[in-house]
Amino acid sequence: MSLLQVKDLNKSYQTDTKVLKNINFSAGTGEFLSVIGPSGAGKSTLLRCINRLVQADKGEILFGGQDLLKLRKKELRAARTNIGMIFQHYNLVPRLTVIENVLHGRFGYKSTLQGVLGRFSEEEKERAFYLLEKLGIEAHAYKRCDQLSGGQQQRVGICRALIQNPKLILCDEPIASLDPHSSKVIMDHLKSISEEMGITCIVNLHQVEVAQSYSDRIIGLNNGSIVFDGSNFQLDQLYIKRVYGMETRELITV
Amino acid sequence: MDSVYLKRDKAGRINIKAGNRVNSVINWTVLSLTLLTVTAFLFFDYTGLEIGRAIMETAVNLRTMFLQPSLNHFSWGEALFQVGVTISLAVIATILGAVIAFFLALWSAVNLANKWVSKSIKIFVAFIRAVPTVLWVLIFAIAAGLGSEAAILGMLFHSIAYLVKAFSEAFEEVDKGMLEALRSTGSGWWHTIVHAVLPSTSTYLLSWTFLRFEINFSVAVAMGAAAGAGGIGFELFMASGFYFDLREVGFITYAILLVAIVLEVASTHLKKRYFSS
Ligand SMILES: Nc1ncnc2c1ncn2[C@@H]1O[C@H](COP(=O)(O)OP(=O)(O)OP(=O)(O)O)[C@@H](O)[C@H]1O
Ligand SMILES: [Mg+2]
Repeated sequence: MSLLQVKDLNKSYQTDTKVLKNINFSAGTGEFLSVIGPSGAGKSTLLRCINRLVQADKGEILFGGQDLLKLRKKELRAARTNIGMIFQHYNLVPRLTVIENVLHGRFGYKSTLQGVLGRFSEEEKERAFYLLEKLGIEAHAYKRCDQLSGGQQQRVGICRALIQNPKLILCDEPIASLDPHSSKVIMDHLKSISEEMGITCIVNLHQVEVAQSYSDRIIGLNNGSIVFDGSNFQLDQLYIKRVYGMETRELITV
Repeated sequence: MDSVYLKRDKAGRINIKAGNRVNSVINWTVLSLTLLTVTAFLFFDYTGLEIGRAIMETAVNLRTMFLQPSLNHFSWGEALFQVGVTISLAVIATILGAVIAFFLALWSAVNLANKWVSKSIKIFVAFIRAVPTVLWVLIFAIAAGLGSEAAILGMLFHSIAYLVKAFSEAFEEVDKGMLEALRSTGSGWWHTIVHAVLPSTSTYLLSWTFLRFEINFSVAVAMGAAAGAGGIGFELFMASGFYFDLREVGFITYAILLVAIVLEVASTHLKKRYFSS
């Protein structure tokens, strides 16, 4: 059974131009799914529609048996705890420590008062340290986030998503601001998250090679429509041309 | 041939300023104000005024005021107490104002609050700000009577308006991605405020509050005189307008100056200590 099912999703920011047109796809448990496509194709919009950071116009997003688009405020908060998100620019609170930023991932489980007072249980803190250790940054736990390198900050972002105990992680260009080595570290971590923890990952990527070597499945988006949906070896020159409008050798590849 | 967008002035030189109109309006304003000032001097009533003697006497007065300051109508202890009263007026108005302004600013920052709520608060607050503090004090004096209550209410009112603008602008500068990240984890609104917005803006909030406190101190001095709010301002008013005691005026001026300097030093010190990073 698939964990996430997107049906006939439509979205436009201004009334005349459609950013997403009748998007249909599904993702299974533990699947590693990449979304590729040229700039402005609507990749970020697609991810943001799933956890409703932007409001879709039409369609259904079935996640764990409920339609996310129909949820009210409180139910939405509860549903969001099951969906982690990782951002290109990490989006940590720079003046707070690493451990504090990781614990922010628990707010979805807390009442207003508990959260505002910053009450976290010992288990939660232990779990945070366990995750930091797993990603190899426990030495920085008490540093302020603005003192960390980009790759380290992204790992904090991953910890913040993982401490939510999510079933699904959305990654919007997680390696676009990183050097090749840090990129590999991050992608390896994401891959092991999906394989070992059985968490579904949907990753927006700009590098076709990276998408091909890590993904179970690739979705190609062009101008708001899905033009490719299949496994990485099915993505041949013809489809790449359809997605990007040109051949691989014309693209700058890593 | 010049491009269509290129503009030259009458002498044929290329303009580098955008609007000629704005410049000429400014020039005309300055010119007419100068003319008005000069003509005003011509129409003053100068009977019985001898410029030489007037300057001499002013100099003598200033000398008595600032070189021989002394206290005649009240003691050192009392002076200190009165300065304390003025500072307390400023402290109350500033702290209450900052707390209230903090909440109003949250509702009026466009990235945190409903668009319409934010707009209404901003318009309301702009209206309050447009009226000077002194006027607010006099308006509140209708209900509360002249005195410290009216002074505090008026100062509070204007402080709130001032700080709401400053605070909400600080909140609006908060990185949008940070708020999105917290929302995506399922955090509630208050969680985001306390754990992302506050840590990112606290230094700005504190330095704006301190700046407002300095303003409120000088306003409190003026209010002591104008609205009978008590404190050192009232003593200054009595010394100058009632007893014509130049030495005491000098003393009080020095006292106010001293407090202002202490405040300035304290605020710079605090900023260095806590806001450095
Ligand atoms: N907040 C917004 N308001 C209006 N239009 C937007 C907004 N966000 C995105 N768009 C438009 O929607 C389209 C798709 O944008 P989106 O960010 O989803 O593209 P993308 O595939 O993520 O591109 P990139 O690879 O450059 O990140 C673009 O044409 C963009 O101009
Ligand atoms: Mg994008």
